[in-house]
Amino acid sequence: MSVSTRRLQKELTDIKRDGTPVGIELLSAEDFATWYLSVEVLGNTVYEGEKFALKFRFDNQYPISAPAVQFVVDDHYTAPVHPHVYSNGHICASILGSEWSPVLSVVSVCVTIQSMLASCKKKERPPDNDRYVSHAPENPKKTRWDFHDDK
Amino acid sequence: MEMEEKEKDNETTRPSNARLEVCDQRVKIKKWHAIAQWRWDTGNNDPEDDGEGDVCGICRVPFEGCCPSCKMPGDDCPLIWGECTHVFHMHCLLQWIGTASSKQQCPMDRRPWVTAERKVD
Ligand SMILES: [Zn+2]
Ligand SMILES: [Zn+2]
Ligand SMILES: [Zn+2]
Repeated sequence: MSVSTRRLQKELTDIKRDGTPVGIELLSAEDFATWYLSVEVLGNTVYEGEKFALKFRFDNQYPISAPAVQFVVDDHYTAPVHPHVYSNGHICASILGSEWSPVLSVVSVCVTIQSMLASCKKKERPPDNDRYVSHAPENPKKTRWDFHDDK
Repeated sequence: MEMEEKEKDNETTRPSNARLEVCDQRVKIKKWHAIAQWRWDTGNNDPEDDGEGDVCGICRVPFEGCCPSCKMPGDDCPLIWGECTHVFHMHCLLQWIGTASSKQQCPMDRRPWVTAERKVD
């Protein structure tokens, strides 16, 4: 059994025992390669009433290597309109790249993204959305992100 | 374990029997210190902690157990402390520090990792 599988098994046990934070739900974790979780931003925010889904992909180096995380864009879900979220679901968030730490987890990533959405004042796409989306690799981890600082 | 053995060996080269006894005792006490220390330093005395004890933040396996890279439960899987006081399985931390993306930082506080000298005395 790989190291990533054992770590994910522990995370899954914790989720099943302790539940997930408010607004976050486990949609599916059928194997230890791909998980889906939903994220809602509660309270009075620009995303009121919207529900998004995050797709996590893990390689067998997880948690030493960061998971590939993106918003699901399909018939049911869209990517939130946010200055750090591209319309193909890719997210420009430093914790998914240069600021990843192996003590983070699936749930803590969801919480971080949830608060990134909660603090958004104005719904808009990143300025380079169209250019990025037309050239983006399928896996967001293959993008070399230049992280804009959230001020 | 290994350290204790080594120290004993050193002591047996000493000439006096009386001294050897004293030193042997000291060695034993030292070992107790070491155990007590690491249980305190990880310092998570949360009563909610369902008896699982302290876990390594990287692999989430309790420190009493070995890390997932150690296949056999009996494998020697030491712990490592940073000067920041954070503690991990040595194998887990070295795996992280070995990656470029770690920037040699502690996973908990992202300060440059400096392994603490554990003085047993
Ligand atoms: Zn570990
Ligand atoms: Zn180990
Ligand atoms: Zn630290």
